[in-house]
Amino acid sequence: MPIQHVEQQRGPDGEISYTVAETPEPQPWAVDADFAIVGHPHPRVEGADKVTGRACYTYDVRLPGQLYAAVLRSPHPHARIQRLDTSRAEALPGVRAVISSATHPDISWYQEGKLFDVTLRFIGDEVAVVAADTEEIARDALKLIEVEYEVLPFAGSVEAALAPGAPRIHPDGNIAGEPKKEERGDVAAALREADVIVEATYTTQTALHNSLEPHGTTASWENNQLTLWSSTQAIWQVREDVAEKLKLPAHHVRVIKQFMGGGFGSKQIAWKQDVFAALLSKAAGRPVQLMLDREGENLAAGNRNGTQQHLKIGAKRDGTLTAIEVQIELETGAYQTGGEASDVIGIYSSLYRCSNVRAEQKGVYTNLGPTVAFRAPGFVEGAFGLESAMDELARKLDMDPVALRLKNYAEEDQKEGKPYTRPEALRLCYERVTEAFGWPSGNQRATTNSTSSKKRGIGFAAHDWIGGKGSPPGYAWIKVNADGSVDVITGTQDIGTGSRIGLTQIAAEALCLPLEKVVLRLGDTANGPYSPPSAGSATQPTIGPAIYAAAEDVKRQLFAAASPMLEEEPDKLELCAAGVCVKGHPEEPISIEEIAGRIAPHMIQGQGARGANTEEKTIHTVGAQCVEVEVDIETGEITVLRVAAAHDCGRIINPITVDSQIIGGITQGIGFALTEERIVDRRRAFVLNANLEEYKVPTVADIPPITNARLNLPDLEANPTGAKGVGEPPLIPTAPAIANAVFDAIGVRLYTLPLSRAQVLAALNQQSTRTATEGAGDATL
Amino acid sequence: MQPFEYTSPTSASEVIELLGAGETRALAGGTDLLTLMKSEVVTPQQLVNLKHTDLPRGIMLDGDTLTIGALTPLSEIESSALAQQHAPALIEAIAVAATPQLRNMATLGGNLLQRPRCWYFRSPAFHCWLKGGSECQARDGENQHHAIFDRSPCVAVHPSDPVTALVALDAEIVVRGTSGERNVPIAEFFALPTDERRTENILGDAELIVAVRVPPHGMRGTYLKAMDRKVWAFALVSVAAMLRLDAGRIAGARVVLGGVAPVPWRSAAAEQVLIGQQPDAGLFERAAQAALVDAQPLKLNGYKVPLAQALIRQALAALTD
Repeated sequence: MPIQHVEQQRGPDGEISYTVAETPEPQPWAVDADFAIVGHPHPRVEGADKVTGRACYTYDVRLPGQLYAAVLRSPHPHARIQRLDTSRAEALPGVRAVISSATHPDISWYQEGKLFDVTLRFIGDEVAVVAADTEEIARDALKLIEVEYEVLPFAGSVEAALAPGAPRIHPDGNIAGEPKKEERGDVAAALREADVIVEATYTTQTALHNSLEPHGTTASWENNQLTLWSSTQAIWQVREDVAEKLKLPAHHVRVIKQFMGGGFGSKQIAWKQDVFAALLSKAAGRPVQLMLDREGENLAAGNRNGTQQHLKIGAKRDGTLTAIEVQIELETGAYQTGGEASDVIGIYSSLYRCSNVRAEQKGVYTNLGPTVAFRAPGFVEGAFGLESAMDELARKLDMDPVALRLKNYAEEDQKEGKPYTRPEALRLCYERVTEAFGWPSGNQRATTNSTSSKKRGIGFAAHDWIGGKGSPPGYAWIKVNADGSVDVITGTQDIGTGSRIGLTQIAAEALCLPLEKVVLRLGDTANGPYSPPSAGSATQPTIGPAIYAAAEDVKRQLFAAASPMLEEEPDKLELCAAGVCVKGHPEEPISIEEIAGRIAPHMIQGQGARGANTEEKTIHTVGAQCVEVEVDIETGEITVLRVAAAHDCGRIINPITVDSQIIGGITQGIGFALTEERIVDRRRAFVLNANLEEYKVPTVADIPPITNARLNLPDLEANPTGAKGVGEPPLIPTAPAIANAVFDAIGVRLYTLPLSRAQVLAALNQQSTRTATEGAGDATL
Repeated sequence: MQPFEYTSPTSASEVIELLGAGETRALAGGTDLLTLMKSEVVTPQQLVNLKHTDLPRGIMLDGDTLTIGALTPLSEIESSALAQQHAPALIEAIAVAATPQLRNMATLGGNLLQRPRCWYFRSPAFHCWLKGGSECQARDGENQHHAIFDRSPCVAVHPSDPVTALVALDAEIVVRGTSGERNVPIAEFFALPTDERRTENILGDAELIVAVRVPPHGMRGTYLKAMDRKVWAFALVSVAAMLRLDAGRIAGARVVLGGVAPVPWRSAAAEQVLIGQQPDAGLFERAAQAALVDAQPLKLNGYKVPLAQALIRQALAALTD
């Protein structure tokens, strides 16, 4: 895993040339290294600022002369603008700029549309945007915009979009892009040879991100310089996208994001509001803030795609999987945003050893809002189908669900034909989570349900995930100040997971400095080098190693500077708690402060890069969860009593932030399992609950005790710090684990998320009707 | 939100005068009215603040009758020993209503007058029947939260928890208008909306709720509520139940369902099944069946029938154990 850097060479004739040279990555930290800072619990750097309201989010930006923008949205699911007149809005006192298809007809957007399209494809599609002195004036102005719509026939559901004669949402029809496929072996033959087959259709709902901080941007376009304070988890992506759309050179666009109220994948691309705010700022000559309200956020800034998964799994009597076949339709909505990353078939083709797999997913356009990545996109949906089916299979085979999974343990990446860097990790997750939970071994699975209406059950689910391995490249710089303190400069952003502390710990550990001597800079394309989006659980495993490499560069320079002071060759020096010393002689150190002070105003500046991932092996992340639930068979109420989780995230840099991700992911998983669902009046393609009243995220009362059985398995083949990401994984297995526990409690399998009371009661009613009918049949024999 | 004028008079009679002028709404806690105004479902030209008027706030005993002033915040009732003693079902209902923050702001009078949470009613995109339109979009739409007793052109359900309990408590609503005060039995105060009166109660435009009176009842009471999540959601179904036992037999019974109709739904049929009988599981099951025998669920809310039956059984069992 070489690191590239530019090296200067002087030829024999004195001519200077430059080549991209490769230097070795720093030595990986040993598996059992004894750390002073890494691996220890340290609270977030920005925690106090957040809870005291001092942290400045996008909405908090207040620039001199700042205007506020509001968006006019389509009231129709499918319509063509026949006439658009903004003159009355422009005449309203306090209105400073209005943009629409009349002013900006040619900027392309999404994979199929335009920034302002005259054809509107969902309720909420953008028609015009107003900037005014206040938010209230901007909203009043929207009412003065006159629009005549030609209303077009629409498709309000996947079924409607696939029906013969369905209205075409885009010229090429209603299938969004190419289907995604994975095929190996002979599935048909393998299904014929199976002793047992589980066949079912699983349905997952469209889920709404509802990040605490809504989408939004404050833009200031002064002279040639466009600055965007965007609520984004990808400042570089926003810079690139906005520069491209506005035909600006990259160095004229600066994107800043210091504090983030969550994104969950929905903010990994530039959205229309980034460009709207920029265009309005240019037109008005003043800064413009455009925050989406909760409704705009939920309608037009991306959702998790709903899926239907038609699944067949075949197995031998001993539990060996012979075939997995799955056909998936997912609801794409009106446009492909380019940020979906929804890999529903992914988990089907990798989690279990199976030689015969045919998995296909196709996106279907509907006249509803577009979809975008949502925390482990695709795997969350796929895990519900696969892990529910594995539970059903275990029941059919009368096997323990964990034993069935061990029977089909995947030692290698079957898609790529490569070994995993830590093939034992998932097995260790199984061991740790079942131990922490007290999962009954073998056949001691009989639950002791009383005659009360409240039945208890336990459920298990596992997962893998393509993320967490890091998204190289990524860079870091370190400046050593004259007083021995250091600035670590990165171009990453903290999506809200607490990246600042995890990354600061890497720098402090590598430089043997106390945490308070290190400050980490991030969130500004003007002040740091490129960093990938904070998506795919990538920030710690990408930027952590870059900082470690930069620290190595600093060390080399420190040793060179200290060499004459300690009267020893640089390669005989090492870092110690008190500074730099001759190897093995920590009793005679020279402090970094002294070295930096003596060479000042010269400055030591380290640079580091995150090298490419290994091509020999597959780096991935895995985990498993156990859940206990109580189901009231009279009222249909499901109560999650406790959850235990074990997730491999490589070396644990900070146990607090890892635990936080586990708790947050499981919380979101409980919402996905039980209450969260976009509700659409399909005959009108109207979203009825684009708000936090009727879209029910879990409250603190819905969240049970959560145990994180930490693994701490440094993955030195992943990167020299050994850490992998854990932002997304904990959400993946929660919903199927809950559904499996519900089955264990009441003997009824639920195939559709969320697991509502209506579903539980209907399923129980069906079951009792069936039992009664069977009973009557017996009596006649 | 549209612009409006705001006045803050010091007497209830001034408020009533202003209300008579039309397009004027009284403002107490504002937890419902302001959200309706923000979505422009309600667009008054004037708001009249009640909180500085002489309308009563507080809880007192008037003889044997518990009297609660209209301006009393729900949280104050929740922590009142008097209310706990005389109307435990009301306390239980308040404790599961909304959130502590909302209960600090919301007044009892406002709670009685809150409008349905039906998403078609709440959305400015629909001119539904309850807002003066010709069509109820919920009837053939997403009606999973809607009425199973379908007796009105509107199938929204009454959202209040306290109201369901107060119907079981046979409360009286003290109403003041231009011609003075009158006491209205709560069962008459809430009335299914009609073509002429598209609201859930009979309060006139120029009338105010002054207080709620809970007469002595000598019964045990309880309130059970089923929600989509553990807290902070409106009832899918709720039940307020009260029982009095005399020599091992049920001498008095009240069963009121919430979340099943545009108004709280008292079941005389269930009460008749219970009266005079010895309490047991079989009896409670028959009462639960009787309460729902007339239910006509819509396409997506059939689950409310077994859910209501279960809550009735569980409430009655809790009152007799």
